[in-house]
Formats: sequence, structure tokens, C-alpha cells
Amino acid sequence: MKLLVCIKQVPDLESRFKPDAAGVWYNETDLAFRMNEYDEYAVEQAVQLREKLGEGTELTVLSIGPDRVVEAIKKSLAMGCDNAAHIQDQAASAKDPWQIASIIAAYAKDKAFDIIFTGMQSQDRGSAQVGVTIAEQLGFACTTTIVGFDYVDGTITAKRELEGGIKGVVKLKTPALVTCQLGLNVPRYPTLPNIMKAKKKEIVAIPVADLLTEESLTTTASFHPPAKKGGGIVLEGDVADLVEKVIAILKDKTTVLR
Amino acid sequence: MKTLLIGEYREGKLLDSTYELLGFAGQMSAETSMLLVGSETQLPTYSGTLYLAEAATCGEYNPGLHKKLILEAVQKESPDLIVFLHSSYGWDLAPRVAAALKAAQISEVIAITDGGFEVGCCNAKMRRTVKPATAQAVLTIQAGAFPVLQSGGTPNIQKLTAAGDCTLEFVGYEPAEKKDIDLAKAEVIVSAGRGIGKKDNVPAIQALAKALGGELGASRPVVDAGWVEHSHQVGTTGQTVSPKLYVACGISGAIQHLAGMKKSDFIIAINKDKDAPIGEIADVLVVADVMQFVPALTAKVLR
Amino acid sequence: MEATREIYWNIGHGVVVPMYLLAFAAFGVIVWGFWQRLPIWRQGKELERCDRYDERVKRMLSEVFSQAKIYRVTDGGIFHSIFFWSFLILFAGTMLVMIQADFFTPLLQINLLSGEFYKAFSLALDAAGIIALLMLAGFFIRRFIIQPKGLEIVKDDYIVLQLLFAILITGFLVEGARMAATELQQNPGLALFSPGGLLAGQLFTTLTAGTLLVTHKILWWLHFALVLGFFCAIPYTKLRHIITTSANAFFAPFEPKGFIATINLEDETIEQFGAALISDLSWKDLFDADACTSCKRCQDRCPAHTTDKPLSPMKIVKQIGELAEGNPEGSLIETVSQDALWACTTCRACQDICPANIEHVNKIIEMRRTLTLMEGAFPGDEVRTAVSNIEVNGNPFGLAYAARGDWAEGLQVSLMEQDSDVDILYFVGCYASFDRRNQAIARNFITICTAAGIKVGLLGKEEKCCGEPVRKLGNEYLYQMTAAENIELIKAYNVKKIVTTCPHCFNTLARDYKDLGLDIPVEHYSTYIQTLLNTNRLKLTPEPFKFTYHDSCYLGRYMDIIEQPRAILSQAGGSIVEMDKNGYDSFCCGAGGGRIIAEEKLGSKISEVRIKMATDTGAPLLISNCPFCLTMFEDGIKTGGAEEQLRVRDLAEIVAERIML
Repeated sequence: MKLLVCIKQVPDLESRFKPDAAGVWYNETDLAFRMNEYDEYAVEQAVQLREKLGEGTELTVLSIGPDRVVEAIKKSLAMGCDNAAHIQDQAASAKDPWQIASIIAAYAKDKAFDIIFTGMQSQDRGSAQVGVTIAEQLGFACTTTIVGFDYVDGTITAKRELEGGIKGVVKLKTPALVTCQLGLNVPRYPTLPNIMKAKKKEIVAIPVADLLTEESLTTTASFHPPAKKGGGIVLEGDVADLVEKVIAILKDKTTVLR
Repeated sequence: MKTLLIGEYREGKLLDSTYELLGFAGQMSAETSMLLVGSETQLPTYSGTLYLAEAATCGEYNPGLHKKLILEAVQKESPDLIVFLHSSYGWDLAPRVAAALKAAQISEVIAITDGGFEVGCCNAKMRRTVKPATAQAVLTIQAGAFPVLQSGGTPNIQKLTAAGDCTLEFVGYEPAEKKDIDLAKAEVIVSAGRGIGKKDNVPAIQALAKALGGELGASRPVVDAGWVEHSHQVGTTGQTVSPKLYVACGISGAIQHLAGMKKSDFIIAINKDKDAPIGEIADVLVVADVMQFVPALTAKVLR
Repeated sequence: MEATREIYWNIGHGVVVPMYLLAFAAFGVIVWGFWQRLPIWRQGKELERCDRYDERVKRMLSEVFSQAKIYRVTDGGIFHSIFFWSFLILFAGTMLVMIQADFFTPLLQINLLSGEFYKAFSLALDAAGIIALLMLAGFFIRRFIIQPKGLEIVKDDYIVLQLLFAILITGFLVEGARMAATELQQNPGLALFSPGGLLAGQLFTTLTAGTLLVTHKILWWLHFALVLGFFCAIPYTKLRHIITTSANAFFAPFEPKGFIATINLEDETIEQFGAALISDLSWKDLFDADACTSCKRCQDRCPAHTTDKPLSPMKIVKQIGELAEGNPEGSLIETVSQDALWACTTCRACQDICPANIEHVNKIIEMRRTLTLMEGAFPGDEVRTAVSNIEVNGNPFGLAYAARGDWAEGLQVSLMEQDSDVDILYFVGCYASFDRRNQAIARNFITICTAAGIKVGLLGKEEKCCGEPVRKLGNEYLYQMTAAENIELIKAYNVKKIVTTCPHCFNTLARDYKDLGLDIPVEHYSTYIQTLLNTNRLKLTPEPFKFTYHDSCYLGRYMDIIEQPRAILSQAGGSIVEMDKNGYDSFCCGAGGGRIIAEEKLGSKISEVRIKMATDTGAPLLISNCPFCLTMFEDGIKTGGAEEQLRVRDLAEIVAERIML
């Protein structure tokens, strides 16, 4: 069986974001990068399945981006992926979800993957499109935001997380793609022997130009901080007045009193 | 400008969020039609065209089939925008429709701007303005970002039918687990800190949480002191939360606590001390005695 | 009449051969007994503990004969020391008798044991015997009547105490019987120099001469048999500590306190990191189990044990011994339990007080290494998050690394990347960099340096966690990764001296980083400020205040910095009210060993216990000089409800307020 897990390296969200020179994405200076949280669930699930299926199963991890993404790839290898594909792209952030999905689909097209795992979305871009779009392009069955996963004999049983904590149970036949959500599992912390082993695993580098054939379907006009919200208003005075003011603010700035 | 809105229906009921789509369309001043895989007994109060397919035959979650239905309506309507809610239904279905049409998709729109759409990114810390580069575009709109619009009226129903497309099988729903509490998913959290003074004051904080439709949170000292159970603890040693509204009652803002709740969309802090560190990240700092202010606020919210 | 006595009186010199044969046989039993234990110790890994032979011997002799580590704890310890010295005198006396009887008399025909020397000799031995009996009585009362909490009573205790009692009593009886026959009447003046024998002799005055001789002979052989029994019991009872505990004074490490073996991460042949089985520990770790006397001093002082957590350093040492002896393939982690391992604050109170030179802390760290490096385990999810935060942002809070230097805004400091020509590099650490309360330490330290005309450099956003908490939690890999980045950075700036305000950074930079190639003087601000005061670069206007001072474990016990902070505070006008547990006996705040990033879920809170000790002094102010301690105490004061009685402040705050301009 062949498994693929797609990961993205994203800035730590505690970072301070500043627009880049073109003003359409963030400036990478002073940003700390890590593996996209949802992708960690995807890797963990893929590795668990890889362990369950044992011999004869191959798990590939894929990431698109500049050299720094190799760090995230290495972590996935240390978690238990067998090999990796690094699609080298200095300008990955300028590509829209359609293009990213097309690149991955182009990579996966002739490789006969049975199951593809992705995160439900990236923490920086947050489009929640790439996984489903890959599945559509490859003609895979697909379900999203899963918090439960089981695989038996060509059939995946997944639990989707719906609003209000309700779950939807879905069965899919492979080949299939699932996008993973918080709550699916607890990603393992790589052990030192596995970190050492990962250093010897193969990372195939593929220039993005070899896989990219699609144009962008969207354009980003700007990247900017949100309009200043209340920004530290200090209210003092009589309690009754304070209550009135807070109620007004709650109505104006939040949806909780609607 | 023509929009095709994709309504939501689950467990035999039309979902209220459907009206947010109408709110969006209202803001766009667009000509509107709607598609719903639902039931004739659960129609939206809306006076435009409604493409209706029966959930009983098409399933509530059957994205392959629903995609076909939508494409059929798109064929008939030729909308400029196909609009979904950014929900478990919408984000699952929208990319399938977009891919089929090879149309631009813009996800989780929070506002309409000049010639484009505003979306959040970097965990809502930043915004992007995105424009479709295709004639037709698919949007998903953020829940709560657009006002609910119930214009009234009865829809003009056009029935849709499509043959089954079974890449997946929907087995059924599982009810929400009754667990302690999952603060990470709470939309409103009202947290008690040491500043509430004593254990006896916890119910007052809980009352505000209930009035705002939220959960009770707590800082570490309060949990350590045994005033509130650990499952309510917010912070690096408790749960990391990001609700829409976080109300910090008598929490000075130890770093462990701040790290656990600063991603909240809107933070109101109530504290006697104007210089408490929580003030640095709060959107509103109410300088007051917690036990005077909170019950007064609760009373007002309930009224 | 000459003051002397006839050796082998009534026994006859014919006894010499069987006596020596039996004695050698007894020594043979000792050797055999320990020889049999050799394979048990040999299961451990190699470790060089026999180098620097002269120093080791010197240290062993001094520790054994001075008994300093024993009587440091007066409860029990004093009895032991006095008993030891008394027994030593008795042993030396017996040796002297042997030498006299079997060498001097037959070979040299001289009698040392005569005249005034004999009188002194006799008196000394009798006195030693009586004192030893009194001490033995003390042992009895302590163990069987008072029964201090945690002190176990095992079979060995009955055997050993009764045996010693019997040896001493029969000794006096033999002496008494001999004196009844040869001295009480014949030389009553001399008898006064054997008060024990004089007393015991009264028992025999009514016996006929013949009976007396037989009785004496029986008692002599009984006494001799008991002594042989004592020797034979050494390897098989608690008495083994006579050999093993003494040997441990020889085997004790010479490395600086807190030394942890650096794992070579380049070595690809290593398959097991840390200790999962006893064979992963060193032979010394296994020998420690035999050196342990179960005195439970470690347990009494363990902050985790005292707050009802499932950790007893003594128990861990014992459990290792039991596995080594009975179940060498057994899992260390399962035997000791994860909860016990994670509970350790590495405060070193156990190791510091141990009279047997047992190394508790590193055993725990080795087992934690297995947990983290081999199993990816954490004491809790909060620690998992903090560790991942350190990986990504170089601090456990997960705050943006670029904000690390923000606290210094507006202060007179130089960012190393802009100007590295500075007097000192201040390594700020995560807490003083990011935590609002602790930023006061950093700011006040800069104020102090500015007043003293010291040019301070900061690494700002380039600085990363020193790696201490993760190293102590067993994550050597992450420690070495972050340490390597810090070291490379610091080396590139040609730094003359590093000053830290955090004792944990201090230990790590000064000692742990040495192993990774950083060799630059590192100082804690406590001593640095003291030097500034002593050299008059900094002057204070004293303002009186009453306070109590908390010795951070990593400053006091680890670095022997105890007097300096007190001297500074006294110069600032403070009058100290010491807590019972201070200096080397200080009680941990609860944050060491990586516990600062973990939640304290088991037992009561260590910080609250310490706060209670502080409030008990009546002083309104608790002064610390460690960001971890400050954090724990700010917390403990709140959760312990001591807000009305006590405030906690940092040394730098006190000093900065009193700078004479």
C-alpha cells in the first residue's frame, strides 16, 4: 500500500507579522517556522496506519516550499514517514490553493497512492481548499475535518467534526483523501533513535517547474493587519455606567448578544 | 451581479446560518438565487428562486451528488458568485464545485471590499484582500461575519434531481459527547481569577458565563485553590483557548494564563488594578471591583 | 606491683594458632561475601572512579574518620559518630593487644602495655566500651521506641544491634572475670583504671576460683565467637556499609556538582539512550544501593516526598539494588514509576545530605532520558507544549522569539549584534525576558550595572533558552540543539564575561556548556553585585528592613553561593531572620528539574510549604535571587493565602532601590 501525507511549514502564530515588500504576504524576517498543526495530525494518522499495516506499506511525506521546509520534512521522517519529496519552490507563498493542489496532484498522479492525508487547512493561509482540490483533480474519494479514522480492507471509516460537537460518520473506498482536524490524535514526539534514523532517509528534491502547469485563479491585492479594534480601551467610573458601556461594546464588537 | 447561495440543512432542519448567506447577498446588492438540499417542509423565508433537492433522497452529506446538483443550478443561473458558509458543509463542498468549474475560490470571507474580498489569515492576526481572477468565483463566508437577513416571503421552488454518485457512504450522526467541558471549542469563556476573592464568588462568574452562552474558565491559582475544577483551567498548564469573547474576571494576567487565552478574538478584562498585565492584551479593561461589576453585567445581559 | 596484665591469661598461648586461623577464616568470609556481590555491580556500565588515587584515598580517610557527613545531622548522626569513634578505639586497642601478645612479647621481649601507658590504655578502652554501650542504647531507643517517621525496622536492625550489644557486654564480662581473679583484690588501685571491668567483676566475686576460671574461659570464647560473627555478618547485613559506604567515599565523583554526562549525539552506534534497565546504569549506580544505609535523610529532605508525591530518593536507590540483585531484566521505569521520576526537582537536597555519597539525581535523570528520548514521554501535555515552544521559539511560553529583548527598551544596554565591545554579556534567560514580574529583575540589574558604570551587552532576540529545564527532564537532544546555537553565538562575539540572573542559566552556562566547548567565565549577579560593592564601584544607602532569604538550590547547594547574597542584603540595611531550612539545607521552591514548565498535580504544593516556612519567621519580606523561585513564590503566596503576611522580592530590586547616586 502507498500512503502520502502532505505537509506545510508555517510561521509560528505567536510571531509578529509584517507585510513583505509587495504587500501581499508576510515578511519572513523574525518569523519562527514550524509544521502546520493540522498537518501534524495528518502525519501522526498516516504513521499510525503505516505501523498498523506494517511491511509492504510505504509512507511518503511531501512538502512544497523553500529550503527551510526540509526541517518540517525531517520531523515527519523522524515521526515515522519512510521517504520524502521536497518540491522546491522559492515562491510557494505566491501560489494560490488551486496551484498548490495542482502541483501535488501532478506529483501523485502516476504514483498510485491509496490514501492521501492532509491537514484540514494551513494555519497561515487558512483556505481549507488544497486537500479537497487534490482529491477532485485525482478523482479520489474525499472527506474533510476528520477527528476519527479507521482503515480496514480498502475502506476508511472517518468521523467528521461538525458544528456543535456533533460528528458525522462516513465510509470511503480507497483511493481516498482525508483532511485532518484537531482532536484526531496526539502527534508523537519523535524519539532520538528515530531522529537519527530519519537523517538517513531519502528526501527527493523536485523543482516545482517540473510539476506546475496551472495559472493562479486568484490574486492577492493586499496583506495587512486588521483595522485597529478597540485596542486597549480602559473604562473607569461608576459600575452602572461601566455596565452600559460594556453592553454597547459587546453589541458592537462581538456577536454574542445578537 | 448574480449570486447562487448554498443553504444548509442538517438532521432534518434548515440551519439558521443560511440567513447569513442572504445577509451577504444583501451587502453585495446582488441578484440572488438559492440552492438547498433539504426538505419542502423546512423552507427558508425568502422570496427568490430556490433550487430544491430532497435530502431524503440526496442525503445530507453526499458531496459528490450535491456537487452535481449545484453544477446543474449553476448551469441554469450562470451566477458570478457561488456562496457557501465556511462550515463543515461549505468548506467540504465548495472546493469540489470550484474545481469542477475551474473557478477561483476565496475562503472564509469576512468582509466585502472594493473589487475583492477580505479574508483572515495567520490565525486572524492578519487580513488579506483577495480577488478572483476568473469570471465565476466560489466563496465561503465566515460564520457570524455577515448579518442574518430574513427578508420574508416564500421561495419560488425549482426541483432538482440527480443520479447517485457514491464515492462515499454517509453512515450517520454521532451526538456531541457529554464530556467535562471543552474550552478549546467554546465561543465565549468567562474566567475567574484570584481577584474574585473567594470560592463563594465562583457562581457569580458562572452566571455571567451562562448569560453570555459560554463556559466558565479559571486561572491557575483559582484551580489550585480548589475553587474551580481543573478542567476549566485556561493557560499553558490548562487549556489553550481562542473563543470569540473572553471575559477575564479578576485575573491579573500571569504569563502562563496570557499564553493560553490571548488568541481570543475579543478580550474584556475586569480588574481593580489598572496596570495589571492583562490590560496589555485586553481590548477593553474595565477598572472595577469584580464582584460589583460582574453581577450587574449579568443582570443587564439577561434583561 | 606493676600496672599491666597478662595477655591470654587463663586461655593460654596455645590459643594463638586456632584464633588466628578462625580470624582469617572470618576475613575470608568477608572477602567471599563481597566477591559474590561483584557480578551484581559488574552489570553496570563502566565508569572511571579509581583515577586520582591519592586524592580519593585522602578523601575516604578524612570522611570515614572525621564522620563529618554523619554528625551533620544530629538526630542519629551524633550517636553514630561517637559509637564509631568508640568502636574504633576498642578495635585499635584489641589490635594493640594482639601486636603486643604475638609480636612484641615473643619477638622483642618488650611490654608496651605496662605502667602509666597501660593505665591510660585500660581506662580509654573501658571508657570507649561504656560510651559505645550508651550510644547503642541511644540506637535502641531511637529505632525501637521513638521510631522516627520513615525509618524502617528490618531484620538486620535486630541482628546488628543485638550482636554489637552482646560483643560489648561479653567484652566487659571477660574483663570482669579476669579482674575478679587477678586484679580486684590483688591490685585494687589498678582496677580503678578499668571501671567497666571493675563493675562487671562484682558479678564474679562470689564464685570459687575453679568456677571462675571456667566461666572466664567460656566468656572469652563467647566474646571471640561473637566478634567472628560480627565479621562474618558484614557482607550479609547492613553492616556491609562499613565497607561499602567507606568505599563510596573513595568512588565519589570529582566532577563539579550537577555534572551530567553529555551524550555523544554523533555516535550512531548508541541504540539506548538513558537508563531503561539496570545494565544502562553505571556500576557505581548499582554499588550505591549497597552503600545505602537506609538512613532516610534524603527522603526527609526531598521536597517531593515531603509534599506527598510518590518519590523517595532512598526508595529509588533500593529499587535499583533489588532489580540488580533479583531481576536484572526488569524495567527500571516501571519499577520506579513515571510519577516518581517526574516528581524530582533535582534540588540535590538528597545528594547533599547523603552520608554515603550516593548520586541520586543523575540516576533519575538517566531514567528520564529513557522516557523522553526513547519513548517521547512527557510529565503532562503542558510540558509537551512548552518543549515544542522551546523548539520553535526558544522559550517555553511560545512567545515570539523576536520579542525576547523588548524588556530592555529604554535602558542603557548594547545589543551584541550592533556593538559587542562590552564589559559583560548579560544572559537574561526566558523568565526575565518574557515574564512581566521577572522582567523587574532584568531591568533592575541593568539599573545596577548602569550605576556602577558597567557596559552591558545583550543577545536580544538571538538568545535562546539555555536548555536547562529540558536537559533536566531528560531531553538531551533538544538541550544540545539549543545549547549549540547559544554557544556558537556567544563565541562569535568574543565575550569576556557572562553574568546571569538565573541560577539555572548560571549552572548550565558555567558547567554544562563547558562540555560542549564554551569556556568563558560565568557569574551569577549575586556575586557580581558583591564584587561591585567590594570594589566601591557601587555604593548603597542602607535602609533598614527585616527579611528572610531563600537559597535557590542551584545557587546554594550546586554553586556554594550562600554568604554573598546575605552580605549584600545586610549592606543594604537588611536584618535577616533565617528559615529553619537555609543554606545547604534549603528547601526547594518546586521549580527545578524542569518542574517550572510542569503542573504540580500530585500531593501538596512545594511552593506553599516553602512560603509557610517563610511566614513562620515573622519577616514580612522574602527575598530570592532566582526567576524560577520568584515565579513559584508569587504563585505560592497567592494560592497559599499569604498575601497579607508576606511579599516576595528579588535581590536586584532591593539593591537597585538603595543605589547611592
